[in-house]
Amino acid sequence: MSQWLEQVIDNAKDVSDFLTPTRQASLAELKAQGWPGKRTENWRFTPLTSVSQRDAVKVANAGEAEVPVIENLDVFDIVFVDGQLITSIADIDLPEGLTLSTLDDVSGDDEQAVKALFGHIKPQRHTFGLINDALATQGVFIDVAANANIQPTIRICNLTTQAVDVHSRVLVRIGEGASVTVMEHGEGNADSLTTAFAEYSIADNGYLEHYRFALFTDKAKQVGGSHFRLGDHARLNSTVVGYGSELSRLDVDIIHAGEFADAKMNAIYLLAENELFDLHTNIEHAVPNCTSEENARGIIGDGARAVFNGRIHIHRDAQKTLAEMNNKNLLLSRRALINTKPELEIYADDVKCAHGATVAEIDDTALYYLLSRGISRSKALVILNFGFIQELVNEIPKAAIGTWLLPKLSTRFSQMEVK
Amino acid sequence: MLKISNLHASVEDKVIIKGLNLEIKPGEVHAIMGPNGAGKSTLGYVLSGRDGYEVTEGQVTFNDQDLLDMEVEERARDGLFLAFQYPVEIPGVSNMEFMKESVNAMREQRGEEPLTAAAFLKKAKEACKQVQLPLDFLKRGVNEGFSGGEKKRNEIMQMILLEPSLCILDESDSGLDVDALQVVAEGVNSQRDNKRSFIVVTHYQRLLDYIKPDFVHILADGKIVKSGDASLALEVEKSGYAFLGQAYEEAQA
Repeated sequence: MSQWLEQVIDNAKDVSDFLTPTRQASLAELKAQGWPGKRTENWRFTPLTSVSQRDAVKVANAGEAEVPVIENLDVFDIVFVDGQLITSIADIDLPEGLTLSTLDDVSGDDEQAVKALFGHIKPQRHTFGLINDALATQGVFIDVAANANIQPTIRICNLTTQAVDVHSRVLVRIGEGASVTVMEHGEGNADSLTTAFAEYSIADNGYLEHYRFALFTDKAKQVGGSHFRLGDHARLNSTVVGYGSELSRLDVDIIHAGEFADAKMNAIYLLAENELFDLHTNIEHAVPNCTSEENARGIIGDGARAVFNGRIHIHRDAQKTLAEMNNKNLLLSRRALINTKPELEIYADDVKCAHGATVAEIDDTALYYLLSRGISRSKALVILNFGFIQELVNEIPKAAIGTWLLPKLSTRFSQMEVK
Repeated sequence: MLKISNLHASVEDKVIIKGLNLEIKPGEVHAIMGPNGAGKSTLGYVLSGRDGYEVTEGQVTFNDQDLLDMEVEERARDGLFLAFQYPVEIPGVSNMEFMKESVNAMREQRGEEPLTAAAFLKKAKEACKQVQLPLDFLKRGVNEGFSGGEKKRNEIMQMILLEPSLCILDESDSGLDVDALQVVAEGVNSQRDNKRSFIVVTHYQRLLDYIKPDFVHILADGKIVKSGDASLALEVEKSGYAFLGQAYEEAQA
């Protein structure tokens, strides 16, 4: 057991609202599971020492934070700074078919909807997800009515500026035939710990364009997850971008619960110095005829470390499944490290499932080609290595987001040293 | 402009070039023909400075400088251009970005300001039209998914944009149909003037119908074994390399 977890369990006693039964159940599960150690498979490569002896810092006044602006993006921002909501949701002029509410202010029928989502899409095995269940009183519920096509992006920003623990939750219900774009955006570099979990239910024929920008750096620790359940013919297009920090861990679960559902996820990570980024993804093909495609690519420099664990679980009845997964890594230094592990569990016999993982250094032939055109060695290395990431940035559906992200990533990359 | 004296070079400890001599003056077009394994492509790589191609003996001067002492990128900036036999695919890096970087590297060398995006686009579009590639090839990944002929035309487009003083064309005709061959040849001919020199490496006389060489050299077993004017190429076309005798037999062995 850790000091921090003991304090968390103690703090959880003060939480009381309409979600208490679920919170209590999660707390009981948490106590049963205990603190993950080196022998816990899910945490084998990601030590939790920076959290275990930490003091659970409950409440803080929001510090001053600059909200990152994505130019030319039509967006509704919901901003939390140090765990405090600083946006007045009531002031947002909502289009028809979209309802936004905070967890401490849901009413009537919405309460039932929230109860149905909260802790019901995210699997119970995520330790920090259970902690988030117990403690997340700050959160947002996004409800998209059937057949509503919501144009503006809804962005939930979690910014930290000080030593604080933040537990935030996003719950999204997308009605039949509806479509919406949701972005979870986290940034900070103070000695904070953010557990941010999101659960999405996409009803039949619904579409979710999803972004998770996990851009915490330095001492800002984050452990979070995005979890999706897709109905019949539902579609998901998700882009995950991760920076590393002292501890940075994301869990993604995609559950194909309805036939002909389709999920695509691209993940990019860019790590330097002694940063750590750990991405665990899990795709559950529970029913027949669904498709999934996952591309995770990372560049790891200096003494940084990345972990990628990609699980695909094709259930016995999930015939005609088409699942592809790919993880490509480029190491820029001898000390850089990636632990990559595809994990395929296939119980159906009529499926197509492809996976691959590569770890590469610089491509000498391509480098020679660029040099032979007069391009300097340092510039050529940037062009080549970055092309690898840029391919995924180019696939981002919203041009404004790609345009914002690309220079951000290339600046970060240019500060990484190629050795 | 280029003077190669007694050049010996090896790749992975295998000696490929075995005492090659060649002098090229401004404005001249030299064709190099020869059987497989004679060292034709190796010569191009050695001159451009590719890693792994080790010069064991001899000198090469380029514009009165010691070429062998220069880095790959320095040789390019000083005006040496190699059109690759197998251009490299670089997914994710746009052709446009790639060529803009290289054109600006040349400009920097000459002490000129980098081109603005608009100015470069104009030039690139013209060059693209000249080699008859659709304009969307500028936006695509470098050589990514290009056919063999498209890759060769892309090389010629780069040559046109970079304005080198010495162009080495390594089998720029291989894998081309007659139409593509004409496009490549016209691209080359449009760049010919009394200063710019060419080394045209080819298997077939066919290309030389379109690009008229001043000299033809036969390379066999790492050496130039015969030199002559354009009529030498016709002779090779007619009777093959049999006249090479022993040197040829050894090269094939």
